[in-house]
Amino acid sequence: MSEEVLQQAAPGLIPGSGTARAAKLTRLSPSFISWLQAGPMMLVFLAFFLIPLVFVVIVSFWDYNEYQLLPAFSGRGYTDTFEGCIAQLPDLCTIGRTYVMTLKLCFMVWAITLFIGFWVAYFLAFHVKSKTWQMGLSLLCTIPFWTSNVIRMIAWIPLLGRNGLVNSGLVKAGLINQPLEWLLFSEFSVVLALVHLFTFFMVVPIFNSMVRIDKSLIEAAYDAGASGFQTLVNVIIPLAKPGIVIGSIFVITIVMGDFITIGVMGGQQIAAAGKIIETRVNALQFPAAAANAVILLAITFLIITMMSRIVDIKKEL
Amino acid sequence: MTETTRTKGVSRRTLLKGTAGLAGLAAGSGAITGFPYVKSADAKVLRYLGTAVNEGDDISKQCLKDTGIKIEYITATTDDVTKRVMTQPNSFDVLDTEYFSLKKIVPSGNILALDAKKIKEFDNITPVFTKGETPGGKKIGGQGTAPWKVLYLEGKDSKKFATSATEFVTLIPTVYNADTLGIRPDLIKRPISSWSELLNPEFKGKASILNIPSIGIMDAAMVVEASGKYKYADKGNMTKEEIDLTMKVMTEAKKAGQFRAFWKDFNESVNLMASGETVIQSMWSPAVTKVRSMGIPCTFQPLKEGYRSWASGFCVSKGVSGPKLEWAYEFVNWFLSGYAGAYLNRQGYYSAVLSTAKANMEPYEWAYWMEGKPAEKDIKAPDGSLLEKAGAVRDGGSYEDRMGGVACWNAVMDENDYMVRKWNEFIAA
Amino acid sequence: MKEGRPRSFYVLAIFFAAYVLFLYGPMIAIYVLSFQGPQGGLTFPMNGVSTFWIAKLFQGTGIVDLGAAFHRSLLLGIIVMILTVVLSVAAGMAFRRKFRAQSILFYSAIASLIVPSIITSLGISLEFRIIDDLIKAHWNENFETSMGLLTSGLGAHLTWTLPFGLLIMFAIFNRFDPRLEEAARDLGATPWQTFRHVVLPIILPSVIGIGLFGFTLSWDELARSSQAIGAVNTLPLDLQGLTTTVTNPDIYALGTVISAVSFTVIALALGTIHMLNKRQAAKGSDAGKGLV
Repeated sequence: MSEEVLQQAAPGLIPGSGTARAAKLTRLSPSFISWLQAGPMMLVFLAFFLIPLVFVVIVSFWDYNEYQLLPAFSGRGYTDTFEGCIAQLPDLCTIGRTYVMTLKLCFMVWAITLFIGFWVAYFLAFHVKSKTWQMGLSLLCTIPFWTSNVIRMIAWIPLLGRNGLVNSGLVKAGLINQPLEWLLFSEFSVVLALVHLFTFFMVVPIFNSMVRIDKSLIEAAYDAGASGFQTLVNVIIPLAKPGIVIGSIFVITIVMGDFITIGVMGGQQIAAAGKIIETRVNALQFPAAAANAVILLAITFLIITMMSRIVDIKKEL
Repeated sequence: MTETTRTKGVSRRTLLKGTAGLAGLAAGSGAITGFPYVKSADAKVLRYLGTAVNEGDDISKQCLKDTGIKIEYITATTDDVTKRVMTQPNSFDVLDTEYFSLKKIVPSGNILALDAKKIKEFDNITPVFTKGETPGGKKIGGQGTAPWKVLYLEGKDSKKFATSATEFVTLIPTVYNADTLGIRPDLIKRPISSWSELLNPEFKGKASILNIPSIGIMDAAMVVEASGKYKYADKGNMTKEEIDLTMKVMTEAKKAGQFRAFWKDFNESVNLMASGETVIQSMWSPAVTKVRSMGIPCTFQPLKEGYRSWASGFCVSKGVSGPKLEWAYEFVNWFLSGYAGAYLNRQGYYSAVLSTAKANMEPYEWAYWMEGKPAEKDIKAPDGSLLEKAGAVRDGGSYEDRMGGVACWNAVMDENDYMVRKWNEFIAA
Repeated sequence: MKEGRPRSFYVLAIFFAAYVLFLYGPMIAIYVLSFQGPQGGLTFPMNGVSTFWIAKLFQGTGIVDLGAAFHRSLLLGIIVMILTVVLSVAAGMAFRRKFRAQSILFYSAIASLIVPSIITSLGISLEFRIIDDLIKAHWNENFETSMGLLTSGLGAHLTWTLPFGLLIMFAIFNRFDPRLEEAARDLGATPWQTFRHVVLPIILPSVIGIGLFGFTLSWDELARSSQAIGAVNTLPLDLQGLTTTVTNPDIYALGTVISAVSFTVIALALGTIHMLNKRQAAKGSDAGKGLV
């Protein structure tokens, strides 16, 4: 649609002296302009992601022994990963259990960040009227992230540990007698830390699609007698859907590959797809690590594709 | 319309200008400090990759003063250091790494064999490294990747470890120690004397081990042996069956909730212990000292089954040649000449050349750290902070007792790949 | 419009405040513990109260030159921020039309988010080693490395920030009314003028948001840099390296100082904007009301 618009608009430009250069520009074909606009980003991805990814895929098919990589074709990185998956049925094999755990964590984090992120974005977009305040509150939410995560991770112990702020607060308040053990180094603390890190990744896209919603649409819905809930479900959520999907892509993709947060907050005792890769990399077994990364990529792509079935983001533009 | 947009632009343009100004300011201040890789032509600079253990600011300053060599530290975690050797061999000159990594690093062809004749103090390096015994003649346990097994190469460009002394050295030793369990005596309230206590259900949810599979499994092997379940031929080089057995013990403990968390760096081990999250865990000597210096009781408990030891030192990158290689030798020679050795000893580690370190320490310091005698005066860390009050005795006693009590060394097993797979299974269990 | 604020405002304001409190949870521990006494550690119980560690931070921490790392990270973050904004806005504009490589770019961005950072980092380091070897073989035998903060490091960070930038641009351009641009063109504006005076002012706040997001992502990035940064470290890498030896509350002090400076700068900036707006309003300009 916009292509025709541009073509229609082009002859409408007055070929005056001041706009001569511009007129020349508009003679460029629209697809060429698209290439110019998207080209730089494509080059960055090509140079720093796609080519390295090709290397990673190649390495994933290499063989290796205890001490070095052997550049000869082998599917060992893959077959080892699925070791025992058929033999151990009906029990799940290592990789199966690991992915079940990863998906479980991923789902919980997604659901919670979506809920919190949606309402925070809603508050910022519809209740905070001034742009200055919107920016100020967004910044307030950003400042904690400027203290390196390395430092913040350490700080969870004094917050949630046996002698931490939360436990000692609860004990002093008389709510509990014994410090709560599950506050730290548990699935709870992993989800908590991931929600803490990634809720804002949900807020930003949802907020941006919400501010695009024409306020008169909402007014119109109310005028037509819709309740607040009806307006939310029938007007706001559908219109904010692209933001919701984009935020979901952020959260799901990052949590699926995470190993730092799951490692530290899980006391290194909770399995995750990213953690298997980390363990392999640290043992310098690069082919096995690369193979696991390719598997993770394939599985996560599957999830994202299923989501895109529900909402085609590119079409929404 | 155009009018509107123009006025509208004003405030935003001002804002943009402001942001740009800020950015410029920040970038400018960066330029003033200068980037380390912008170096003048004749400055003697060495890029030093390692963990923060040896990377004292005092050491680099003293080195610059004594030799004119400027050391640029590249600090990373233990795991990251080894990875960087494999992935970025061009980004460092001198490498500070552990002996057990050599089995991985040497076959990669990324490091240079060093000429033993060019190391002045080579013959004075403690026999712990060259012969596998203490200066007093005590035989040291050789299970695992003991340094003397990987100290020499067969030839200049060989990737094979020589079984007897040659002039081609892989790694010049600098620092090492004997590790055992750290405990909180105030919370345990009874004597601990065996590795088997690590998996004692009494300390359920309050135990921890190191999150490096090859080291974690050795701690577990110490427990298995201590509890009399099995006797390994070589804990540092298990067979598949032995790995299965050890992992089974670990898995049972994990499922029963024995471990609070696995720690992956010095700092985490201190935090776990200091905060009371754990009361018994595998630990490093200076970490115990650190907990104690915060006024929290902590003991580096000698155990009857002995210590698990580690050692690290300097490699040089294959990419280093010409004058830079000479500086590298000069630096290594300087490092062994005493100042740095004393610095390491004062932290609770051990230095490779004892005689030069001794010359750089006060007699009372030497007596406390190395001879296991009660401290005559307050013991201070290299930065001057108080570590121990006068009268204190080092846990485990003297150098002879501690190094002589070593049972095994950190290792990379022949079945490492299998072991890592089992480790992932253990985590997923 | 309804008078006063609806009840939902108060409910959500409390919800928002709770979220902010949650965000600042670990920060509160950091702020408090950075004022420990000289014998203090990184966990509770507190060991005395002093500004010892704050002072220590400014004297230098001893092992790692955190000041230099701070400047490096800041420089890298600002460059990443600028490139993220420019490339994302440009690519976002491109996506408003159909063009052939659209899917490739879109899925590259998604894949770049999925592949765990250490793997991307490894891939980049492998690529640069090959480049190094080529340079050594063909041009300069004494060549050290092409890896560095602003080559491989910058690239690694961009593979992290650009997917976010691009996808947020999708949300921004979602249902963006093309009639505004048509109108501008009908009035004789060049495409650049249309972008500069019509599109940009509308999306500007969001674009600043992308910049902020990009900077924050780069500033806090760890695993992706680890194998791709070359011979110098970013601040998070240095901080992580520090944890391999005795670690003191001076790293908490760093967090406290960064937060304090951020609060001050932001408060000043917002105050200035507020004043500028007020002054314009007083002059009777219709700035900020036009167009939309």
